Amino acid sequence: MLKNYFKIAIAVLKRRKFFTFISLFGISFTLTILMVAAAFIDKTVNDTYPDRKRDRSLYVKNMELRGNGSMNSTTLSYYYLTHYVGGLKTPVKLAISTNFSATNTYVNNRKIPINYKYTNADYWDVLEYEFLEGKALSKQQIDNAERVTVISEDMKNEYFGEDSGPAVGKYLEADNVKYRVCGVVKNIPITSYSLYADIYLPYTVSKKDLVHDKGYMGEFNGIMLAANKADVPKMQQEYDQMVARLPMPDKQYNKIYSHADPYIISYVRTGNEQKSGLTIVLTILSLFALFVMLLPTLNLVNINITRIMERSSEIGVRKAFGASSQTLVYQFIVENLILTFLGGLIGVVFSVIAMYFINEARFIANLELSLNFTVLFYAMLICLVFGLFSGVYPAWRMSKLNVVTALKAS
Amino acid sequence: MLKHLFKLIWNKKKQNSLLIVEILISFMVMFAVFTFGVNSYHNYVKPMGIDYQNVWVINYNNSLQTQNSDSLTLFYEGLLRNIKAMPKVIDAGYASSNVPFSQSHMNSAFMHNGKRIDGVNQFTVDDSYLKVLGAKMLEGRWYNKYDANSKVRISVINNALKEKMFGKGNVVGKSITDYEGKNPIKIIGVINDIKFDGNYQEAAIGMYNRLDTSSYHWLGHILVKVAPDADAAFEGKLSRLVSNTLKNANIEIEHLPNKLTSFNKMTLVPLIILSIVAGFLVINVALGIFGVLWYNINKRRGEIGLRRAIGASGGSVSSQLVNEALILATFSLLIGVFFAVQFPLLNVFDLPAGVYLTAMGLALLFIYGIVFICSLYPGKQAAAIYPAVALHEE
Repeated sequence: MLKNYFKIAIAVLKRRKFFTFISLFGISFTLTILMVAAAFIDKTVNDTYPDRKRDRSLYVKNMELRGNGSMNSTTLSYYYLTHYVGGLKTPVKLAISTNFSATNTYVNNRKIPINYKYTNADYWDVLEYEFLEGKALSKQQIDNAERVTVISEDMKNEYFGEDSGPAVGKYLEADNVKYRVCGVVKNIPITSYSLYADIYLPYTVSKKDLVHDKGYMGEFNGIMLAANKADVPKMQQEYDQMVARLPMPDKQYNKIYSHADPYIISYVRTGNEQKSGLTIVLTILSLFALFVMLLPTLNLVNINITRIMERSSEIGVRKAFGASSQTLVYQFIVENLILTFLGGLIGVVFSVIAMYFINEARFIANLELSLNFTVLFYAMLICLVFGLFSGVYPAWRMSKLNVVTALKAS
Repeated sequence: MLKHLFKLIWNKKKQNSLLIVEILISFMVMFAVFTFGVNSYHNYVKPMGIDYQNVWVINYNNSLQTQNSDSLTLFYEGLLRNIKAMPKVIDAGYASSNVPFSQSHMNSAFMHNGKRIDGVNQFTVDDSYLKVLGAKMLEGRWYNKYDANSKVRISVINNALKEKMFGKGNVVGKSITDYEGKNPIKIIGVINDIKFDGNYQEAAIGMYNRLDTSSYHWLGHILVKVAPDADAAFEGKLSRLVSNTLKNANIEIEHLPNKLTSFNKMTLVPLIILSIVAGFLVINVALGIFGVLWYNINKRRGEIGLRRAIGASGGSVSSQLVNEALILATFSLLIGVFFAVQFPLLNVFDLPAGVYLTAMGLALLFIYGIVFICSLYPGKQAAAIYPAVALHEE
């Protein structure tokens, strides 16, 4: 039966080439936009380089203090992370680092902007950076406050030149301090903002006094690593209990919020308890998808109705010979799905071309969009929704056609 | 004639309803795109208000151990003197983190005549700010060093804030109060509007306060106007001077023109993406309208043939079809304009009404244009129908 529908669908598509072109253009273009968007989202939130242990990690990013009429929300202090978070039982390791900040350096009368980030030793165990040369900062180096650094591949090319040979052992100057390069890592895009930096430095060489500041708020964030996946909920619970027991730092506040989140939730957290980042992101995404899909769907519905009315004699004959409305609706939806999947196929080709140009233009450095199975799966899903949406109403209109008028129309 | 066409469409309203909805939504999409575009253009043509060429920003963090305001003041005044003494530096001054084209904003509320005005940008700057950025005073005067001893709180406001609070007229010497209605602030001057959010965003309301000795605890930016021949080698020297003075600080030097470019990108990229998407949506809709009209004409061959047979010219047949399409568009545009008019009436996004009206006009023209072009070819086809052939089919 399906084979028959397929044959009919192809025959119908061939009959009015102009209409087929309009339908396919609409479908494939819409899918291209949605697929590029899906590939972008997939790359930003699903790419697991360098945090491959994401499924057994929890991210601690900020703390919010609230009182009557006052609110303060910012990243955490080193003291808070080592003293309170470090005291938890479940995490086996705790990566601590600052968010990246910018400085400049001047080499041979050339200015190079540098984004730097301070890390502790566990950071290099929790995160699996891919080393092109050398190795990570060791615990000993960090404890001794040695002036060593791990740099990104881009930084190496920028600072030492493209074909300068190995960078390990060379010195890099930033803020008037010379650091010895001990490793070069593969680039990560700036969209992974909590892990991105050009140079990674030991937190002990930071020029600020970290040990004596006993407040909760500072410049650091942490990643807690559990021994296995099953321990993650336990770890989260333990963290929440710890936060509930924290003494108030100041009389003007009466509530402390801080969360240990899985990656995606931490990625979109706004730093404001009253505005859930996830809700905002989901609303924006659905509005965008609706905006992109609404017009082409309406257009497709319109064209589908036109095409069905054209086939009224065929429908009339089939009805006269006893085909039920249900069969006809089913047939038409299948035909429409075939059309959408054909459009989807073209859309895949278009989006591969679009992604190629986006990658070539380097809108965001090191962000390489690619088509993978997750994105393809979403594309299939979107096709299905699209096909059903644009097929149901015309099919319903068709099934209601009166046999006599349908036959007479021809 | 029009009334007759109107009736023809009204009789087929159920058939045409989807087309009407489609045109309506296209209108709303184009209205959104044009509003965005017109607003950006409207802001773009206004003057920037400053001369940002050859202005650099030094970002540092106050890492001095002392908490004593007097020694801090002494230290930072010394640093600024050393910077000003450098050969290619024309002038320099401290500023709060909301220097032009930065993401940072600091807002506060004020009261005037019992009316509370929210979202006033607060700039803490020193006496050289006006000269470094090349801004102009419209009335009154800018700060000078004697203002440090002023008994009352004084302030310079920008033109946008002046118009919002006082409307037209002279305001120097008048006073406003803080948001609780206490503590008067005397206005000593009005500065021209500065588009500190880049070329494409409007100059927001703002107030400029002179820094005092306690400000050095939290200030972190120095604006430096340099000579046109200042290069990276000089920048390196400047950076070394600052980092040798501020031993424990991280120093970053940015250029205002570069900051402007990246800030503009943040406004332009969404506009470009939106325009590309909207462009394809419109092509899509145009093709759809074209297809449906073409089909409708094929279905009405008999009717057209009859009209031709009783003496209608080809031109009148094709103009009938084009007019029908335009009237159909008018139906949807009437509904669309009803919704669109709500934006200026309810003042939804706080944009000037003129922007909405221009955008609406452009969107109307655009949709009519599209519908007209899409109906031309089907109309021409209809005109080419031979009555003998068309009537023979019946």
